[in-house]
Amino acid sequence: MLDVKDLHAFYGASHVVQGVSFSISKGEAVALVGRNGVGKTSTLKSLMGMETRTRGRVDFDGSSLMGMASHVRASRGLGYVPEERAVFPQMNVEENIRIGALLHSASDGRGVLERAYALFPILRDRRNQMAGTLSGGQQKMLALARGIALQPKLLLVDEPTEGLMPANVELITHALLSATETGMTVLVVDSSFDLLKTLCARMYAMDRGVLIGTYKPADFSSPDELAATMLGETRA
Amino acid sequence: MVSQVVLQLLNGLVVGSSLALVAAGLALLFGVLHIINFAQGDFFMMGGYAVWFVLNLTHNFVLAMVIGTVAVAIVGGLLLTAVIWPLLGRSPVLVLLATLGLSLILQQMATNILGGDTKLVQPPLAQPVPIGPILYPAYDLVVIGAGIGILVLGYFGLQYTRYGIWLRAVAQNRPMAAALGVPVPRVYILAFMVSAGLAAMAGGLLLPLQSVYPTIGNDVIQNAFIIVVAGGLGNFRGAAIVALLVGEFNALGQLVPGIKPSVLTLTLFGLVILLLMVRASRQQILVRL
Repeated sequence: MLDVKDLHAFYGASHVVQGVSFSISKGEAVALVGRNGVGKTSTLKSLMGMETRTRGRVDFDGSSLMGMASHVRASRGLGYVPEERAVFPQMNVEENIRIGALLHSASDGRGVLERAYALFPILRDRRNQMAGTLSGGQQKMLALARGIALQPKLLLVDEPTEGLMPANVELITHALLSATETGMTVLVVDSSFDLLKTLCARMYAMDRGVLIGTYKPADFSSPDELAATMLGETRA
Repeated sequence: MVSQVVLQLLNGLVVGSSLALVAAGLALLFGVLHIINFAQGDFFMMGGYAVWFVLNLTHNFVLAMVIGTVAVAIVGGLLLTAVIWPLLGRSPVLVLLATLGLSLILQQMATNILGGDTKLVQPPLAQPVPIGPILYPAYDLVVIGAGIGILVLGYFGLQYTRYGIWLRAVAQNRPMAAALGVPVPRVYILAFMVSAGLAAMAGGLLLPLQSVYPTIGNDVIQNAFIIVVAGGLGNFRGAAIVALLVGEFNALGQLVPGIKPSVLTLTLFGLVILLLMVRASRQQILVRL
């Protein structure tokens, strides 16, 4: 479904993604792991067409995405849930979800709202609240619920559990798992051992702009082992 | 005295509602693209000429208003697209200079093609309407109604229609809007056209009251800038409300015995600076659409 070959991305003078190649099949959930600043977010942004200077090949569903604007990629079936600045702060929860749904017919729009609220019922209670006044965790839920509810073919998710308490990590893991069960393909950047173990069949480890290996979450028995192997650090 | 106050209140609404159209267009562009358009006053001028031109052909004021507004919305929107598009993502100063250049070009072209004289038309409605103690021209009431009506329509359009929601989404978080599939280029072009169309409509509405000449835009834009800054840069509703207040301030100010117009203008500047200082101490100045 997604075939990436020798992808490069540049940010200012720095060469942040230096020739990354990987592929994902339909319905798979795959993770990109590694330390901060090694190019994971830039890889996701490049796939979504949000990095201005990229090079290489990205084939999605049999056709090339290179040179396409973000909104065209979205209409081809890509979804994106960024780590930061994911919501529209001065629009309410319902409008935040509807923005993407407005591309579809009115009845689809209702469906998108219902699916989003079913994932995180707290969003229904907060539907008239400005998104900028939600807590950080609720904003993350809103962004993820919107991403999943729009039913893209491939969802790119950046650090969905970063900074969340364990109960919310479980909720978010469950939401992503239920999305893959409906046939959605997911590429996630995250470091939560629980999420990786529950959700992902494969993990690509990344360091300094390149992929350094492919692993299975089952290869690791504890978060410390995973961290020591791939993140190059031992967790306290 | 009462009749004079009522008269000036209504005059203030006429000026305020048409200024509000110009300023709301400026605020829309600032909100969506973070650019300041120096040629906004010249779209007001083009609107006046377009309505004058169509009116001479058709002798139907409503038709002339519709055709004139739509024509300037399209032409002005395309001009802005051509001038600003290549500069997007570069220094905002370049956009500022480019729209200033566009303004000068439009004024010179108007002078060359149409001459420097003023074009005046008769109001389509001449009969006076009794309001309280005074008789007020019916056409002036139409200007108030049309201006405020369009602004209310624009406000609800921004709140509830598909493109209205997209305009606000692009204003608040462009990369995320694009990632959700919002066609950003189309939203930009729409903002250009609506902005130019609002100014043109004001120019057309005021044609029977003020006439039109090539540099009329310069007289309009100064007040429009004050209003957009005071209303909260990029805030459509704020700009509209402040425009009505500015119109009333200038109209009622004339009732003060012996006051000079320059003193009124200076007082207005002072009030705006005071407003900005108070607001800056409480919240950020920049309000999103």
